[in-house]
Amino acid sequence: MPLKILVTAKRVEDSESKIKVNPAGTGIVLEGLKFKINPFDEIAIEEALRLTAKHGGEVVVVSIGGKEVVEQLRSPALAMGANRAIWVNHVGPMDQLGIAACLQKICEKEKPDLCILGKQAIDDDQGQVGSYLAEALGWSQATFASKEESLESEAEKSKAPAIKLSADGKSVTVVREVDGGLQTIEATLPAVATTELRLNQPRYASLPGIMKAKTKPLEEVTPASLGVDMTPHITVVKMTHPPARKAGIKVADVPALMDKLKNEARAI
Amino acid sequence: MAAGINRYKADLRELFFVLFEQFPFSEVAGKGPFDGWDDETAKAIIKESYRFATEVLGPLNAVGDREGCKVVDGGVKTPTGFKDAWKQLYEAGLKQIAVPREFGGQGAPTSLYVLIEEITCGSNTAFNMYPGLAWGAAEVIAECATEAQKKKFAEKMFNGVWAGTMCLTEPHAGSDVGSAATRAFKQPDGTYKIKGTKIYISGGDQDLTENIVHLVLARVEGAPAGTKGLSLFIVPKHRVNADGSVGPRNDVALASIEHKMGINGSATCVLNFGENDDCFGELVGTVEHQGMPQMFRMMNGARIAVGIQGLAVASSAYLNALDYAKDRKQGASFKNWKDPNAPRVAIIEHPDVRRMLLELKATVEGLRALVMKLANHRDHYHLLAGKDDDKAAYHLGQVDLLTPLVKAYGSDEAYRLCGTAIQVYGGAGFLKDWPVEQYARDAKIFSIYEGTNHIQAMDLVGRKLGQNGGANFQAFMGDVAAFIEKHKGHPVFGKEIELLGSASEAVVTLAMGFMGWSQTEKVGLVPLTANRFLLAMSQLAVAFVLLDAGVLADKKRGALSATDPDRAFYEGKVHSAHWYARNVLPQVENHVKIAMIEDETPTTISDAAFASA
Repeated sequence: MPLKILVTAKRVEDSESKIKVNPAGTGIVLEGLKFKINPFDEIAIEEALRLTAKHGGEVVVVSIGGKEVVEQLRSPALAMGANRAIWVNHVGPMDQLGIAACLQKICEKEKPDLCILGKQAIDDDQGQVGSYLAEALGWSQATFASKEESLESEAEKSKAPAIKLSADGKSVTVVREVDGGLQTIEATLPAVATTELRLNQPRYASLPGIMKAKTKPLEEVTPASLGVDMTPHITVVKMTHPPARKAGIKVADVPALMDKLKNEARAI
Repeated sequence: MAAGINRYKADLRELFFVLFEQFPFSEVAGKGPFDGWDDETAKAIIKESYRFATEVLGPLNAVGDREGCKVVDGGVKTPTGFKDAWKQLYEAGLKQIAVPREFGGQGAPTSLYVLIEEITCGSNTAFNMYPGLAWGAAEVIAECATEAQKKKFAEKMFNGVWAGTMCLTEPHAGSDVGSAATRAFKQPDGTYKIKGTKIYISGGDQDLTENIVHLVLARVEGAPAGTKGLSLFIVPKHRVNADGSVGPRNDVALASIEHKMGINGSATCVLNFGENDDCFGELVGTVEHQGMPQMFRMMNGARIAVGIQGLAVASSAYLNALDYAKDRKQGASFKNWKDPNAPRVAIIEHPDVRRMLLELKATVEGLRALVMKLANHRDHYHLLAGKDDDKAAYHLGQVDLLTPLVKAYGSDEAYRLCGTAIQVYGGAGFLKDWPVEQYARDAKIFSIYEGTNHIQAMDLVGRKLGQNGGANFQAFMGDVAAFIEKHKGHPVFGKEIELLGSASEAVVTLAMGFMGWSQTEKVGLVPLTANRFLLAMSQLAVAFVLLDAGVLADKKRGALSATDPDRAFYEGKVHSAHWYARNVLPQVENHVKIAMIEDETPTTISDAAFASA
């Protein structure tokens, strides 16, 4: 059964850039920063491509932001192999509820069988959108999708999808990462899954893929056209760097250390 | 697999500058044979290539160096990870970027290809030898072979299904390729039996591909002696079945591999052809004795590629040294060196370290701009060929003229600059803990293979200076003169433009000198001074392209705010141009002065007088 899969591609600061908070403490300094696709989203795209390679279907990739997000939609998202893109053109603040609401409206229109999202974005590490989206749609959710096999395994080399579609095409089996181990669940479709780092090793956007991406359909919508109010429910009051670590001290002996751990740090 | 760590670094802002600003890609992209290309695509491809290089190829660079290649069961075993990297490289399509579209490639302009080549070479020079030679050999077949041969071999080689080699050198025929003793015996069915030994064959055997297509230079029975009697043959490691699949082994045997100073991940092989009198070969094309011109199609591309290897390695050596210099604390600032309590500073604050770093920066950028100038001429040639013969001839002439400069100056400077990068590190640079010592070892071969740098110098003075009745050289000097005329009295580069003027006069003087010598009994001075002339002309050419970049950067920086990161970038370009023009360009006149002394001591000294031992 062919699958229609919706995936996300958030534009985030490259983790190799040096992030600085602006002097006013209202945000980070954007000048000179490098950007890339959220690595968790890249894993989501890879998984979707493996699923459609096996079962047939279509991969639609969505990003929300100003015109700069088109860069990530074209390459790597479409260049890796996604079929088409939807760009929600929005400049200005947004929070997880607004993002989930946009995705909800798009899902209601596109009616995918499965949404795959990064479990979180590496810029703000919120990790809420996937669950909000499932809740808003009333769909089942399978967060933190992972797999038993390692990324060096034969299963990974064969590029088999880790999310398994049932024979009747009505549900998926997902191995989730949970505290202290793995949990296998079955989720009825339509469903929302979010990806862990160990789900797969994303492919490189191939050069012919980059060339082809230029001509793939890219639809522009706005929150207004989707009927979503992006006014954030969360206000950023202040942004600061974590406090610098203070210099350590030397303690005379083990009893002194134990005393400090017990009474000062209250760690034991 | 214990994957290594990536050490490769590139400054993508600088790559974007040469491709989009100094030699505008948009002037060639999207036109004629480069239909479908644009700036945005080129940028995405450079970024993705860099990512591929740092994540896949870079981590294998030291692995390949330490492990090297081994002979197992009569075949070469390449270092850990190479096979997987090969597969990924071709899946990502990076090696097919400039491959003609009829062979499944993307037909990219050369100016983009050279930057991708810089990125792949710089991250892992030894690994990149294998796909590089496969591509070069495929190009010869694509250009010179019959339709059937193209179909049978070229497409598979371009796309990494099979690899390729060039087999020229023999134990007694290195630079003197005309002495080749490998023979070919024509068979009744039109094929040939090949017999002989070839040495220094890069990628002569490996475990990356199911077949290897050797291009072998050999002499057909009864052919004249010297280079004119040589023919080129396609000799596959495995015979190829009628349906194109891989058949039984051909009589090509791996005799041994060399143990080398550098590029240890690249297998340098001794190959025996026809030990059992059963080595099958096909003539490339249909006409015998065309071996040298056919091989030269590959050699010209290969020489440019060697220049790029030099640029690539030197560039990463520079950026690594720069990082180290910013991090390593040693000594107090020279401003308060007498105060023992002064704070320790990063070594980048020491004037001599800054001098070395700027020398690295300026020279690397100069080499890159020179490679880009060549590539840009090649792209314009392809756009104009068949449409405007005069202009096309001008551009092709510049490619021919600049090729020996790119190869020889690029490779000589690469080795020297790697030494300078080690010097920036101090003792640490001599250790295997840091990447620069490997860069230096890898870089030494660049001045030797694909025609030693003296062969490049002789090619320049013996062939290229007088090519097209001297028109190519005159056109180049004309371009320099027009640039000087246009920017005379420039507020930022006035003095440097003057220096460029004196240097170009000196180069012309020496070029005239060669003409004088070659027509008299002083002809012996030509080989003695050819390398010096190549150096002088290269320094002139590099100063020219750096000043061109500097003028452009100076114009662009003015519009930017003081905190814009692009402003610092453009100022850096101005500094590169200033430094090179003030510290290197004046050497040109000196080279000419030295040459004009007409010193012949190297040829007059007797063998016995060199040493009494």
